[in-house]
Amino acid sequence: MKTIDNSEDQDFQDFFSEMKAKDSAIAVPQFPRIRKSKSWGLIPIGIAASLALLAWFYRGDGSIQPLDHDVIIITLEEGQNNELQFKIESTTELESWESPTSSLLTDF
Amino acid sequence: MKKRQLENLLKELHQEAYHWSRQCCSFDEDLAKDVLQQVYLKILEGKAIYKEKSQIKTWLFSVIRFTALEWKKKAKNTYSLEAEFDVAETEQEINAASHEELIEKLPERQKEVLLLVFYHNLTLEKAAEIMEIRIGSVRTHYDRGKRNLKELILKKTLHENNR
Repeated sequence: MKTIDNSEDQDFQDFFSEMKAKDSAIAVPQFPRIRKSKSWGLIPIGIAASLALLAWFYRGDGSIQPLDHDVIIITLEEGQNNELQFKIESTTELESWESPTSSLLTDF
Repeated sequence: MKKRQLENLLKELHQEAYHWSRQCCSFDEDLAKDVLQQVYLKILEGKAIYKEKSQIKTWLFSVIRFTALEWKKKAKNTYSLEAEFDVAETEQEINAASHEELIEKLPERQKEVLLLVFYHNLTLEKAAEIMEIRIGSVRTHYDRGKRNLKELILKKTLHENNR
């Protein structure tokens, strides 16, 4: 399709040509440098860093834990004057264990 | 179309795109730069996709026009595009009017179609695509725009001759 269909339009051509000539003096900003987004590339690095941090945080400690106070035995014993007294002792291992309700079994 | 190829085409059209952006922003250079930056960002982020149904220049100009309208709306500087007032300028307003000032006196759509056809050498069909209106409407705006611009040019010439 013709855009300029008669000679009358020549005036407009001249008008816009003058306008273009003036515009040519205008500084056009540079075409922006299009950079690829790096945000997706950072995701695996972030995951790896998080895993490394977790591994360091929960890493197994090789040092041997002392077992001095592993087991506390509280016993209720009858004294010389038939009074009851608590006896608390700690040990590294449980040599004997008596159920707190065992007396119920033996008494009957 | 590959991204690299599209980028090269955009580079080629950059100067024209800037001038069109400026024209869509009432010749405000700072706003034109912001709008064009926004357009390139839309393209890069895939918010504006070139589907190769039209020429790239037509598509790019359409995106620029749309983005400029968005910015104008945000700035609340909008005026009805449907309004088609005839030019009623006083002698004083014609005083020392530049090309840009004369063009700005036209209603928005008349201004757009004249710039697309005479400045950017596009056909009326392409102008219709960019302006997103029917070809019949474009013709109407084109004829009215020419009539109004001619009046303005004549008034300006008369004013200059009477000095």
